[in-house]
Parts: sequence; structure tokens; C-alpha cells
Amino acid sequence: MTETSREPRGSDSATAESNSRSPSGRDGLRADATAGERSRSATGREQLDTEPAAASGNRHRVVSGGRLGAIARQRRRAALLALAGAALLAAAMLTGICLGENTLSPGRALNALFLGTGDRADVLLVGRFRTPRVLSAVIAGAGLAVAGAVLQRVARNPLASPDVVGITGGASLGATAAVALGLAAPLTPLAALGGGLCAATILGLLALQIDGSRAAPRLKGGISPIRLVLVGLAVQAGLTAAVNLFIVRFPAELASSALHWTTGSLYGRNWNEAIVGASATAVALIAVFALHRRAAVLDLGDDAAGALGVQPGLARLQLLAVAVVLASLAVALTGPVGFVALAVPHLVRRLAGPPTAGTLALNALAGALLLLTADLVAQHALPFDGLPVGVVTATLGAPCLLALLARQNRPDPRTAR
Amino acid sequence: MTNAPNAITAENLRIGYGRNTIVADLDLTLPGGQVTAIVGPNACGKSTLLRGLARLIAPETGTVAIDGDDVHRMSARALARRLGLLPQQPVAPEGISVEALVRLGRYPHQRALRPWSAADSAAVETALERTGTTALRDLPVDHLSGGQRQRAWIALALAQDTPLLLLDEPTTFLDLRHQIDVLDLVSELNATADRTVVMVLHDLGQAARYADHLVVMRDGAPAAFGAPADVLTSELVEDVFGVPCRVVADPETGTPLVVPRASARHRRP
Repeated sequence: MTETSREPRGSDSATAESNSRSPSGRDGLRADATAGERSRSATGREQLDTEPAAASGNRHRVVSGGRLGAIARQRRRAALLALAGAALLAAAMLTGICLGENTLSPGRALNALFLGTGDRADVLLVGRFRTPRVLSAVIAGAGLAVAGAVLQRVARNPLASPDVVGITGGASLGATAAVALGLAAPLTPLAALGGGLCAATILGLLALQIDGSRAAPRLKGGISPIRLVLVGLAVQAGLTAAVNLFIVRFPAELASSALHWTTGSLYGRNWNEAIVGASATAVALIAVFALHRRAAVLDLGDDAAGALGVQPGLARLQLLAVAVVLASLAVALTGPVGFVALAVPHLVRRLAGPPTAGTLALNALAGALLLLTADLVAQHALPFDGLPVGVVTATLGAPCLLALLARQNRPDPRTAR
Repeated sequence: MTNAPNAITAENLRIGYGRNTIVADLDLTLPGGQVTAIVGPNACGKSTLLRGLARLIAPETGTVAIDGDDVHRMSARALARRLGLLPQQPVAPEGISVEALVRLGRYPHQRALRPWSAADSAAVETALERTGTTALRDLPVDHLSGGQRQRAWIALALAQDTPLLLLDEPTTFLDLRHQIDVLDLVSELNATADRTVVMVLHDLGQAARYADHLVVMRDGAPAAFGAPADVLTSELVEDVFGVPCRVVADPETGTPLVVPRASARHRRP
């Protein structure tokens, strides 16, 4: 086998390179160890060749010494973080249905919610007011965070988020217009959803690259990442101006109501909204997971993705559409809550490493947790009433993000170990 | 020579960006089962041609076919199971490990409900071994040296397990040792794994040494093609590259070696 004659040189050079590159020698040691394993596995090579099934068994590869491979290690880390996140989220949700002017014990609140037993006032309070609010926070937080993660990935830009590219601007304008036209309050979320989708359509059309040099213009490669961000900035600026114009021209009481909406609030969410929002968000989340492998291939760059059978323009358009739906739904529920979509993907990346399907789920959990916690803080922990939840998400999220970014200069714990 | 499988045929191919035509009315057959090198001066359309052959750019006119099957009539996935391409200077996503990168090569073979199979694992292991990157599998790609990184990307293309492999300047920015490593690997893949390889190279001597078939491009059209010994003459090199030269036999392989003529100042006394 000619391959075998080449083999030792390959591994030697690999080790030598790692050694020379490693300042502390630790990486070198590590490469030595793995090279050792490798030569061992080379002796057991026939086994590997004749039994491909045996090789495939190492999906969660445990190499000798009980050390996990990078992929298995990241999976384990994501699973642990997901467990912790789910536990925290459950605790926050429970807190959400217990706390209030009339604080209930967890037992009483759960009885009232699931069995309908106990005080009628409890049932009304928990079932009618607190639970839809908690659910709305969870749905919107999850939707915003995943939308942000997808947008940042598609735009290949860490600053891309629904706030930046005009989707929340469109939703705000829709809601403000609904208030201005005197539509009934339940229609405001619908108007917001419509506004977000319209803004996204405009954004999509403007960002599409049309090859206009020929007699018949044709689509060139779908949407390019940089155009998406630049056009998005312009769309958002225009929409914000329109919202401000509405607010300035309104009668004072309408203006205040519109303004309250445009800073993001979970006040007065009902079951219908929560259930419709939850179902639609669930469908969109499933779509994101279904598109995940395509997104991973797209990360390699357009040419490499194309060579692997992914059409970059089309894949970007699909991912963008799902992100827009998620963000618009979230904004329809809560108003344009800032910062969740921008910060959560960065937090998750710092904690759990490069994006995988697992980290996507973590984004949903972390977004839900951040928005719900922010709402609890806004309602209960602050001495003044009616603080919009968006103010709190920014106040909570910004220090976390800054702290994590400050650590970026230090060696990455995921790779130094 | 075109009877071997995996021959690529381009007919009447015209590729351009907007008004700017890069490859004009090109007719070319790249033989199956061989190593083809495409050479030519900068901006002569080598990479564009490669991207056109891999269907990464839609041609304005003309067809590209693999063994007679029009690539533009295949689904993207079906094409990706027959033809792989390593782009020029690819950039790996931040923080991704070598193994995770190579696994992405299995995308065209995966199914929605069966995302990872035994065959996928086996292909990844083989690709890592063949490129000597097994020991690097857990390291992030952005921590590797240039040579290691290029091997990791070639491993990705190998995991894709296509009979046809297109490489766009696989040796650029590598030192001599790593250039030779990559070219030896290519030649071994052709000999032992039966891959048809088409690569864009800059070094004429290396192209002549490693390729069975040589295509010299000029201004978006082939100036000459055929066996390196027949193609690489001093007249052709002067004509295409504008460099007066002598062509001598490579003392190691006997293949043509291009030695540019020296100016009077540098000439042997």
C-alpha cells in the first residue's frame, strides 16, 4: 500500500509542527499524545478497514485514557448547559406565576394553574394574567435569540440582529400605525407582525443582487451578506424616523401608548396571543433546526458550500425568512425588546463554542431565560412601576456581554485544556 | 483517452461577471482518471473556469458535462456526489475543529432523517488518515499552520468521496515542503484511490511533473493542451507568459522544466 509508506511522515510532521507552534509546549504534548494514539490505531488498521461499522461506533469518540474528542466534549458541554438552563428557566417560570401584589406559594399557584382548585381569585390571577405573560416572555425570548443567532450567521456579521436590520423597526411602525388609526388593542400585535414581515420583504428585495447589465435582469446569487447588513441599517433608520414622526404628531395620550409599545412590554398578554405565538414560533423553530446542516455548510463560504451541494443564495434566503418570522412573532408579542437577539448568541457562543444544533437549542433557552428574568426584575425588583422590559434586558445583558468579551483576549478555555 | 470515466467536457462555454467576459467560447475535454493541471498568467480565467466546471457560476452560454451528463441538469446534491472542489484560500468558521470541518464533507450524502451513518464515519476516518490529520482532529482549524490547514480542507474534499476532485491553487502560500506534500497526496489519490484530479497551479515545473494532462490558459481560452512534454515549449511560454526562457529536462523526472532567461547582469560569466 503506497498509503502506508506516506503515513509515518504525515504524523511526524504533524507532531513537529504542533511542537514548534506551541508556546507553552502544552499543545505539543497533546499532539504527541494524540499522535501516539494514532500510531496505535495504525497497527489496528486492518480492523478499521475491514469493519467500517466499528469505526462508525465512535460517534461520541472516547479515545484511550477516557479523554473525549472535541466534538463529543462540545456536545457534553452543551448538554450540561442545556440542563442547567432548563432548570433555571423552570424556576423562573414558577417564580413568574407566584410573584405579584398577591404573592402565592408555589403549591397554591400550581394547583390553581393545573387543577383549577383553590381560591377563585388565585385561579383568575394565575390562569388569566400571570401564565400568559410568562409564556409570552419565554416564546418571545426564545424566538428573538434564535432569530439573532441565525441572522448573525447568515450575515456573517456579529452585529446583525433584528433590531439592526429593520425587522423590529417595521413591527414598531405597524403597531404605531395601528394605534394611530384607532384599531382595537388586540389588533396591535397583528399589525406589528405585518409590519415586521413587510419590512423584511422590502429588505429582501433591496438586498437581492440583480444583475442589471443584461437586457433581461436576473438573480445573481441571492442575497449577499454585506448588502444585507447595509440595506438593513438604511431600512431600520427610515422606519425609526417614521415611528418618531407618528409619535410626535399624535395626541398626547395616544403617543404615550404607542411609545410604551415601542420600548417593549409584556403587559396585558392574553392566552390567545400566547397560544398563537407559541404554535407559530414552534413551527419556525423546527424549520431552523431542519435548516441547521445547510447553515453549517454555508459557514464554509459560498464556493465551498456550492461544491457541497448547497445553493448559497437560496439557503441564505430560507434562513433569513425563518429568522424574520421568528423575530416578527416575538416583536408582535412583546414589542421590540432590544438586546436579546444581539447579546444571547454571543453569550452562548462564549459558553458553548461554535454553532451546532445543540447551541441553537441553547440560544432558545438562554433567550427565554433572559427575557423572562428581565420581566420579573422589571415587575418586582425595581422601586418604580411600568419600566419597559427592554430597558432591563439591556441593563442585564450588556454587562454579561462585556464581561465575556473581556475574557476573549485570554486563551480560550475550550481549546487550552 | 476520453473513454475513462469522469471526463469533463466543456462546449462553447462562455462565463463572465456582468459585462466582463472572463472565459470566452471555450471547448475543452479534461480526460478522466488523470491528473490535469491548469496553468496560465494571473487573471487569465483559470479559477473562473474551475468554478464554471463545478457549476459555481452559471455560464452565459455553453454546457459542461461529466461523462456526457449535463451538470446543469443535475440536482445540486447529485453533482456534489460526483464532483468536489477545494476553493482558493478557504476560510474555516471560527473555532471549528478539524474533525467537525471534515464531517461537513458528508453533507451531500446525508439524508434528512438519517443525518449520520456508518459510511459517513468511515469516510471521515479515511479522509483524516489519508491526509495525515488524524492527530489534529480535535484542534481548532484556526490554530493550525498553513500546511496543516490545507490538509484539513483536502480531507473535507476527500470525505465528500467524489470521483472527481477540483483544486484551486492548492499549493499557494505553502512552503516548498508543504507544496510537495500536497502534490504527492494528489498524485497518490489519483494512483491508489482512482480520483480524477483537476488543479490550478502556478509553478510550471510542478505542473509538468505532477500532471498527466496540461492546459495552458491565456485570456480566457486554452492556448495549448496535451501531455506536458508536448505542450511546454519555450515558444509557448514566451508567447503566453511573455517570459523568454529555456525548457530543459527536469533532472529528476525528465519532464519539462522552465528556466527563464537571465538578464545580462545575472548571467553566468
